[in-house]
Amino acid sequence: MAPTVGLPRALLYYKYHAAWDAFFNHLGVETVTSENTSKKVLNIGLKASDSEICLPVKVFYGHALDLGEKCDYVFIPRIVQVEKGSFTCPKFLGLPDMIRAVDNPPEIISPTIDVRNGRHAIRDAALEVGRMFTDDEAKIVKAYKLAMKALRKHEKDLVKENIEKTPIEKLKSLIGGNEGNKEPVLRIGIAGHAYNIEDPYISLNLIQRLKDRGIEVVTPENVPMKKIKKAAKDAPKDLFWNYERDILGASYHWVKNKVVDGIIYVVAFPCGPDSTIQVFVEGYAKKEGPVPLMSIVIDEHSAEAGLVTRLEAFVDLLTESKLSAQGV
Amino acid sequence: MAKPSERVITIPRMGTLQLMLEDMFARLDVKYIMPPPSTAKTLEVGVRHSPEFSCLPLKVTLGNFIEAIEAGADTCLMAGGCGPCRFGYYAQVQKEITKDLGYDVDWIVLEPPKKGFISFLRTFKKMAPHRSIRYIWRQVLISFEKARHYDSIEKRLLHNRAYELEVGASEKAYTEAIDILRPAVSKEEIAELAEVALKHMDESVAMDKTKDVLKVGIVGEFFMLLEPVVNFDIEKWLGERGVMVDRAVYTTDWIAPSLANQVGGLSKEEVSKYADKYLSHTVGGDGQQTIAHTVLYVEEGFDGIVHLMPFTCMPETIAKSILPKVSKDLDIPLLTLVVDEQTGKAGFITRLEAMLDMMWARRAAKAGHDDWIPAGAGTH
Amino acid sequence: MDGYLGIDVGSVSTNLVVLDENEEVVAKIYRRTQGKPIEAVQAGLTELEDLLTEPVNVLGVGATGSARHLTGVVVGADAVRNEITAHAMAARHAQPDVRTVLEIGGQDSKVIVLQDGIPIDFAMNTVCAAGTGSFLDHQSSRLGIPIEEFGGIAMTAERGSQIAGRCGVFAESDMIHKQQVGHPTNEIVYGLCQALVRNYLNNLAKGKDILAPIVFQGGVAANEGMKRAFEEALEQEVTIPEHFNVMGAIGSALLAKRIMSRTDNTTHFKGFHSADFEYKTSSFGCAACANSCEIIQIAQEDGSEKGDVLARWGGRCDKWDLAPTSITQA
Repeated sequence: MAPTVGLPRALLYYKYHAAWDAFFNHLGVETVTSENTSKKVLNIGLKASDSEICLPVKVFYGHALDLGEKCDYVFIPRIVQVEKGSFTCPKFLGLPDMIRAVDNPPEIISPTIDVRNGRHAIRDAALEVGRMFTDDEAKIVKAYKLAMKALRKHEKDLVKENIEKTPIEKLKSLIGGNEGNKEPVLRIGIAGHAYNIEDPYISLNLIQRLKDRGIEVVTPENVPMKKIKKAAKDAPKDLFWNYERDILGASYHWVKNKVVDGIIYVVAFPCGPDSTIQVFVEGYAKKEGPVPLMSIVIDEHSAEAGLVTRLEAFVDLLTESKLSAQGV
Repeated sequence: MAKPSERVITIPRMGTLQLMLEDMFARLDVKYIMPPPSTAKTLEVGVRHSPEFSCLPLKVTLGNFIEAIEAGADTCLMAGGCGPCRFGYYAQVQKEITKDLGYDVDWIVLEPPKKGFISFLRTFKKMAPHRSIRYIWRQVLISFEKARHYDSIEKRLLHNRAYELEVGASEKAYTEAIDILRPAVSKEEIAELAEVALKHMDESVAMDKTKDVLKVGIVGEFFMLLEPVVNFDIEKWLGERGVMVDRAVYTTDWIAPSLANQVGGLSKEEVSKYADKYLSHTVGGDGQQTIAHTVLYVEEGFDGIVHLMPFTCMPETIAKSILPKVSKDLDIPLLTLVVDEQTGKAGFITRLEAMLDMMWARRAAKAGHDDWIPAGAGTH
Repeated sequence: MDGYLGIDVGSVSTNLVVLDENEEVVAKIYRRTQGKPIEAVQAGLTELEDLLTEPVNVLGVGATGSARHLTGVVVGADAVRNEITAHAMAARHAQPDVRTVLEIGGQDSKVIVLQDGIPIDFAMNTVCAAGTGSFLDHQSSRLGIPIEEFGGIAMTAERGSQIAGRCGVFAESDMIHKQQVGHPTNEIVYGLCQALVRNYLNNLAKGKDILAPIVFQGGVAANEGMKRAFEEALEQEVTIPEHFNVMGAIGSALLAKRIMSRTDNTTHFKGFHSADFEYKTSSFGCAACANSCEIIQIAQEDGSEKGDVLARWGGRCDKWDLAPTSITQA
């Protein structure tokens, strides 16, 4: 039987799973992706992790430890820098060590991804992992290339170019009680990490809830990198966290180019980078827009009822302000 | 905003940092106002205007800036950083906040020289626009040299206090020792007076060096370690209860972590040597150092470790996740104290007292008996 | 009879015990503090003396709990010690091979890990009420069921309702929701016990090795539902010591004995009738710095206006701290 590698469906899995899948598949290594976040997974995580760590890391513990029971290895790369000069969050730097510090830790594969380690840093990391499964270096290099290709395709597929404002008529039809109308009438930008907003359990199904109300949702991953980088230049200081740079750049872009009707900033308690970036995004949305912005803080105790009420109020506010701005 | 040559600069309060900067400002002939000592009110002001999840250091230092501005400062001098700890943005966050509050002040942010040594030096020139960079740099280096000695004197205080026969005698000697060194101007004077000051620490205090003392290492986030207001003056509390204290970082170690001749800090190689088994990569801030110092203190025969960190601190939360394993593997008592604006002194002290009991009881058990006296007040 | 007196004054309860020379409990009092620690101690001492069947020659007095310093002044304590050590001492006295002490009081909770009778690790929660007895107190008044009946009711439940939420406020709204949708009361009551245990284990006891033998003490141990919830969650037997609700006082008496037997000192105990003294507590704002600390002082009436000031505390610094001669700092 082929060796199995577990991929925890948490944190950077949401960004890089296309590459990881492609890489291991080409090597003939069977991957097992953990099930969707659930109460069970969260409880495993809560039990094993420090109580003060942020929610998505607690969830990660749950996925990683659950997989440890099912696979030969759990894949937890140490992702330090994916762009020269900008770090990921400190927690990604210490992630493998944190999982290793639990009682009976799983066996972990943790290559270091740090582009400062030279031009071929990522390929070298891929070789290091690949050699665990095969002596055929050419095959590993091929797997690496396929992985990068899959990743680029995945990222490109997410990008939505040339988004325009939604027409006012459709908004009117919504006000008129046209229940059957599923056309988007409002567009809301969700500022937040993919591992929070794309995980329905963590985000209390935020995106689907909005879509069900006929609202178009855009996330930072839908924004072309070029536009993100350009907009992020307005930040008060060069951002040394690249994922947060993406959130900030996307939000700035949405505000500056009036792409969205409103922004929901999703912060997982107690996220360090977000607590900082949030200050900049809130300030920018107020001064350069103004674009209405609502921050939602989620933790393991977040209740659906509270979220639904706040979402309704925010959507009402956006609808009202859009109508009055258009003189409807 | 003031003309560059008429600036009145202020800084946040952090332990002995003030001693170094007072000296530097005097050398550069820069006008300055030190913020009033941090009090509960400073914290209250800082907390009110800070993002909820930001850490205590941001909140306290914001309070310092606001109080100093109210007292007449027009330029805030703050350190920067290039990640991944969020401290690197604090100057910008504080600038945004003070601007929102309507304060019209200038900010000078000292970014680490990693981002280019020349721009690092130019930042200093903002403080003293009519001086040459070469002159400024020379003065900065001398002030730093002096600050190293201030730190050594403080370290001596932490070591000696446990042995003093009269409570408060070492503290008094420390104040005198600082005053001995303070007037030193030239490099030669600094070296000479620093020696006198250290000697004063040892010789002017009656000590019982044969006393049985506990040895406790304090590790964690630098601001929590360096600023007594946020750590309830833990070193004094421990010292007065017969605990020899050693601290992982001193002011100059924090300013120049990569330089040799650290007072308490560790070199990059040392951090790696001691921490790698448990945390093999930097996680920003002092996270990896915390693990390294803990391992080293165990090797040096310390009785216990106190880990201090602000609530929501990212690097220290990582260290906190790993420290239980270190404590278990190396069989060392470890107490993590997480501090935020809600932390009360009573609970803080109660935990420390229990920690002292634990260490004395372990010592007794190792010696094969159960003859230990719990810490606290009352007959001995 | 010779004996030792232990007093534990917390924000919710005040406990007093007398131990004889063999460290056996000869009398104990458990009463509410009701925000008046001095009155609670004075009344407790009087009641305690009434319980004694023969006069006791007190050889040493220990004080512990959040009001330990105040108590130390009022009664003339020989040992003023923290409640973590006191609870550990009492637990190992009740069960010498104890490895884990679970303690839940009214306003705080603790976990203490011991090895060979020596505390090796501990944690104490004083910030979040959701891991303490006040969580159940609050919900009991909300449900209109006296807290004393909680345990009995919880034991009749086949299973507990899932009450979500670490925070007491959220747990309350979830509990109300469960009531509204018709969950049986006994399942809700047991569900609350499980929620408290879950919060305790997930937060306070996180990362601690919970090994048997496990002792569960503190006022909340009166609730059988809590014992059941702990045993289900830990999948291990949990023992409740006979004197579970006065363990802090027992520990503090043991500490007093430990200290007195190692010195030649005689006790500073002012007698069971220290209740006869009139104490005056007052407070003033310190103007020395912007902290404006509220300084509390306690004086013994001696006919003068201010009285004889016995102790002062409450400042962030030690400027005003004043301890009587028997309470010298360690």
